[in-house]
Amino acid sequence: MLTVEHVDKSFPAVHGFGAMFRGISGHRIPRTQVLFDVNLRVERGELVGLLGPNGAGKSTLLKLLATLTTPDRGRMTIDGVDVAAEPLEAKRRLALCTSDERSFYFRLTARQNLEFFGALAGLAGKPLRERIADCIERVDLTSHLDRRVGGFSSGMRVRLTVARALLGDPSVLFFDEPTRAVDPVHAEDIRSLIRRDLVERAGKTVIVATNLLEEAWEICDRVAVVNHGRIVALGPPRELDRDLNAVARYRVTLAEVDDDLIARTRTIPGVRDLRVVRSEKGVDLDVELEPQPGALGALMRAVSWHGADLRDFRAVDPEAIDIFRKVTSDEADERRG
Amino acid sequence: MSVAVKPVHAPLAKVSAIFRRDAIVALSYPGNFALSWISIIVEVTVAWYIASLIHPSTKFSSSGHVEHYFQFIAINFAFVRFQTAALASFAEAIRDGQLTGTLEVVLATPTTLPVLVLSSGVWSFALTAMQTGVYLLVAVAYGLDLSHVDLLTALVFVALSVAAMSPLGVLAASLAMVIKKTGPVEWASYSSASLFAGVYVPLKTLPWALQAIGWCLPITHSLNGLRAATEGVGLGAVAGDAVWLLVAAIVLMPLSLWIFVRAVNKARVDGTLAMY
Repeated sequence: MLTVEHVDKSFPAVHGFGAMFRGISGHRIPRTQVLFDVNLRVERGELVGLLGPNGAGKSTLLKLLATLTTPDRGRMTIDGVDVAAEPLEAKRRLALCTSDERSFYFRLTARQNLEFFGALAGLAGKPLRERIADCIERVDLTSHLDRRVGGFSSGMRVRLTVARALLGDPSVLFFDEPTRAVDPVHAEDIRSLIRRDLVERAGKTVIVATNLLEEAWEICDRVAVVNHGRIVALGPPRELDRDLNAVARYRVTLAEVDDDLIARTRTIPGVRDLRVVRSEKGVDLDVELEPQPGALGALMRAVSWHGADLRDFRAVDPEAIDIFRKVTSDEADERRG
Repeated sequence: MSVAVKPVHAPLAKVSAIFRRDAIVALSYPGNFALSWISIIVEVTVAWYIASLIHPSTKFSSSGHVEHYFQFIAINFAFVRFQTAALASFAEAIRDGQLTGTLEVVLATPTTLPVLVLSSGVWSFALTAMQTGVYLLVAVAYGLDLSHVDLLTALVFVALSVAAMSPLGVLAASLAMVIKKTGPVEWASYSSASLFAGVYVPLKTLPWALQAIGWCLPITHSLNGLRAATEGVGLGAVAGDAVWLLVAAIVLMPLSLWIFVRAVNKARVDGTLAMY
């Protein structure tokens, strides 16, 4: 299990000579706050996604948990071990799969890199060799094991970071954009590896930072939407769909549509957007309805007015992008204060 | 996962892994590696030519007898490499880690900071020891007299030198962690050795202020002991230098590691571990 309690984090806004002169002259070095009172609890065997735009604070949160930076305030634990007080014990339980593809020794082969990082993870000899063979196979790089990493593509290096993270068989894994720069087939393999092998079969606790909505919605038990350093929404994807009152989308297909019908539909209370698209079946009216009582009935009445030739009527599942936009919008920030 | 693992965190295994990494990286640049050996011949040749300009009757001996300048300078040049290795290797390891992006990943492993930083000098010291041996062999071909070497004294002083100079390297690494550059460290290494430690001229010929600075440097005491060892002087005659190095190692090692941990923690707080 993993906990994050009331964590704040800021970084100096100036570096180099600017910071040095301010420090020497006794002036306070200005800091940029990147995380605000973050709270998160991840149960053992749970997969939680950190979803947010670039610069939201996702990677900073992972680095805090991986002991690579320290919080200004708050407490974090991994399997009951306080990350700040016992960093070495915490690191024995975790692995960070960084998105930085530079994080290898390019003059070394993939095998030599994994042997090195495996040794630092506490493995040696036959168990290490077996482990490398197992992990490298999971990311489909077995045939490249004895090639120098400098000759790898970006995607191959990212896959190698995944193999490296698995080496020490940690109970908690952090993946920072694990499918960045990876081709679709291998990206799907990595998602499957994380979801099925690590979480469902091995019972690992996993946090995945991503800015890919579909990825978060597809594999995560819960998703924490991070924006401007705050967790602005947290829950299973289905609950997020519901709780965040995502707009309902309907597609109404008619034989023909006239201006009068469009005008009447637009006046229905709760209609937020209306698009007209010609299709093979006729004309599609894509309507976005806010969840107001009677709105759907009014829509039905409007489109069936004067015996219009209604060919299809169906609800379209709200897309994750709607939820993401909604919770990361400036208006949402203002509402949260 | 199909292969179960039970990690064992033995420091020596980690030291060995870091040594192997550094060796593979160094050997992956065969041209550079070969040149570092070939340059030894050039260095000895230059030393021999410079020495040939000095009148043979000039005394450079620790033990008091007349000794040619080549004997003096060759020993100094051969062993000053240990200081250069100490000051450069630890700091370069940090700098390389920042540049290659490996530093954060290494620091995220369950490895203590002392093991990480001290291990990063092992390959460099091993290579330096081998190259110093080759330097001395080439110098013998040019006339260096090693027939009186007191091997025990030499070995003791090599060990004490490494122990006393490593903390300086760790301090250099701390500086690299904070200022992200190793240039000032390299400058300090070169200038301190060439000016204050009596590498080119005997320390006693320098003004007292420079002699005082020189006395504070481990390299001065290392070279005193090692020159004495090549003249066949026993350990007892240079016990003062040996004790100086021992005390320096005992005092500076924990202090330098404490400062290194502080530097890493500052970088953690500021979020600058991976900055370069």
